[in-house]
Amino acid sequence: MIRLSWLQFRPQAVTAVAALAAFAVLLAVTGPRLASRYAASGLSRCHGGSCGSVAIAFLSQLQATSTYPVVYLLGLALIIFAPAIIGIFWGAPLIARELETRTSILAWTQSITRTRWLVVKLTLTGLAAMAVTEALSLMYAWWDDPIGKAIDLGGSTSLLRGGRFSSLDFATGGITPLGYAAFAFALGTVAGALIRRTVPAMAVTLVIFAAAQVAMPLWVRPHLIAPDRTTAAIGPVPGDSQAVGLDYGNLSAIAVPGQPGAWIISSGAINPAGQQVSTLPAACAGAAGAKADNPGQCLNSQGYRETISYEPASRYWPLQGIETGIFLGLALGLAGCCCWRLNRRRS
Amino acid sequence: MSAVLETSGLGKAYRRTWALRDCTLAIPQGHVVGLVGPNGAGKTTLLQLATGQLMPTRGTISVLGAPPAVSPAQLARVGFVAQETPVYARLRVADHLRLGAWLNPGWDGELAQRRIGQLGLDPRQRAGALSGGQRAQLALTMALAKRPELLLLDEPVASLDPLARREFLRVLMEAVAEHATSVVLSSHLIADLERVCDYLIVLVASEVRVAGEVSELLATHRRLSGPRRDPGTLPAGQDPIEQSHTDKQTTLLIRTREPVHDPAWTVTPVSLEELALAYMNPANDTPARRPRLGVAS
Repeated sequence: MIRLSWLQFRPQAVTAVAALAAFAVLLAVTGPRLASRYAASGLSRCHGGSCGSVAIAFLSQLQATSTYPVVYLLGLALIIFAPAIIGIFWGAPLIARELETRTSILAWTQSITRTRWLVVKLTLTGLAAMAVTEALSLMYAWWDDPIGKAIDLGGSTSLLRGGRFSSLDFATGGITPLGYAAFAFALGTVAGALIRRTVPAMAVTLVIFAAAQVAMPLWVRPHLIAPDRTTAAIGPVPGDSQAVGLDYGNLSAIAVPGQPGAWIISSGAINPAGQQVSTLPAACAGAAGAKADNPGQCLNSQGYRETISYEPASRYWPLQGIETGIFLGLALGLAGCCCWRLNRRRS
Repeated sequence: MSAVLETSGLGKAYRRTWALRDCTLAIPQGHVVGLVGPNGAGKTTLLQLATGQLMPTRGTISVLGAPPAVSPAQLARVGFVAQETPVYARLRVADHLRLGAWLNPGWDGELAQRRIGQLGLDPRQRAGALSGGQRAQLALTMALAKRPELLLLDEPVASLDPLARREFLRVLMEAVAEHATSVVLSSHLIADLERVCDYLIVLVASEVRVAGEVSELLATHRRLSGPRRDPGTLPAGQDPIEQSHTDKQTTLLIRTREPVHDPAWTVTPVSLEELALAYMNPANDTPARRPRLGVAS
């Protein structure tokens, strides 16, 4: 059965390998030059406060080029869309196509139970789906390494920003691509088995998977591990390294003091009465709407403090593990549902 | 006599419509059985139940003494050629033989190769490019090379032209003679099966109207024609199956075990087709005249 699955899967496997190879060539051509730009930028030798400006300069130069922003976005898009593409083109037709062309009858009247038939097909194609997506992610992580380091050192531009906890980076880096790929593939397979027609199953797969991809960072990921909370003085205050810098537009924290690389889930300023405020109070806003010289210091002297709930950087891998586990669990559940359906429905 | 296919009160419903309802029959071993009935009689559903493609809604079915498709071993004992003779369009003919060998422990590769050779199929050709007749032959080859004890064919020749039809049945009969396989062929046209089957089951609306060996059926059915007469006056043991009357004349198709001695009748033998049509004709369906099953169940 493994050999039959492979025989049927071979054309798709060839396409996937070709796509991986093309992506690898693109990264291999541009990657070393990106690394040498990083080496020349002096970021590896910077200390303390000077790093931020060097990192910003490095990223701004990158963004001004014609190549790197394109590869950067293309890579992210590829990893984000790969699971959906796999779910649509590998998952949805896996059973639906056999039902449509009635070849399921041929397969299921050989000397093999349909459970075994399904398990082998799901395992082989599912593992391939996970391998392809994770391979994309690993290759991209190698290429993206200098940009990631610069962002960690405090650099950001309109395009190159976010860090590894950002919605896009978290779902394209680490091990989460494994979970997304497995889930999308199983979803496509089940949609095909239930709907029994390939094209509608493809559409349903796309809609549900896209919804899952949006719902995860918005509503699920922030609750996977109860965030830590801290209340900090608002800076910049000379001599107080624990004071937190704010985005004065909505008074949200830019970073968590003493927690470099932490993921800020929510933050807000609290006035001396203990109420949350989201706009700069008049006393600190300066004349005629113009900002005061140092609104942070002003807020601090007025008795405002910033409350932040966040996940420390050390929770990156636990969060990755939980998110991946959720999607792998969903994938297994869907595969079980598919198996049950094929054995129960029998038509 | 052990049954290759036995059902009791078998029913299959899709939502609220019954595709097969309360079907009780037994098909004996060692025959080429023609399963004949009008469209919608439940033939396809019966064969799909027998191959485990469907699960019964009611009743029981056993194939070669076991529930259908319960294990790889049970699946190996039954060969099936579906109505659409599905093959993998993208795979080559040779790939089909390979997958047959992979999936069936009892696969007879030599037989498969030989048949493909005799049929003149190019092993490198994609199955999607085969003609309907060639595709049916490939599907049959796959079913035969499994070396099943029971071969089920659902309307195998319905979509074939007369030449391909004859060729298909010839290949089938050769293989059956060679391996002593029991065969059940379904069709809505008795003419398709007349040449090959030695046992006939007429199925109408899930119900067996008549079942028996062809030779015995032919020996026990007669056409009588003579002066107009009420069939109710026939002697005991002569059951009218079909009757037609003109002003002066009566024509009957009767079932009887005894010779007809009444000199008023002109007695002629009936063909299998006439016989099957008489049993299939809804006008002849009066419950009192339904024969008991021809086979012990």
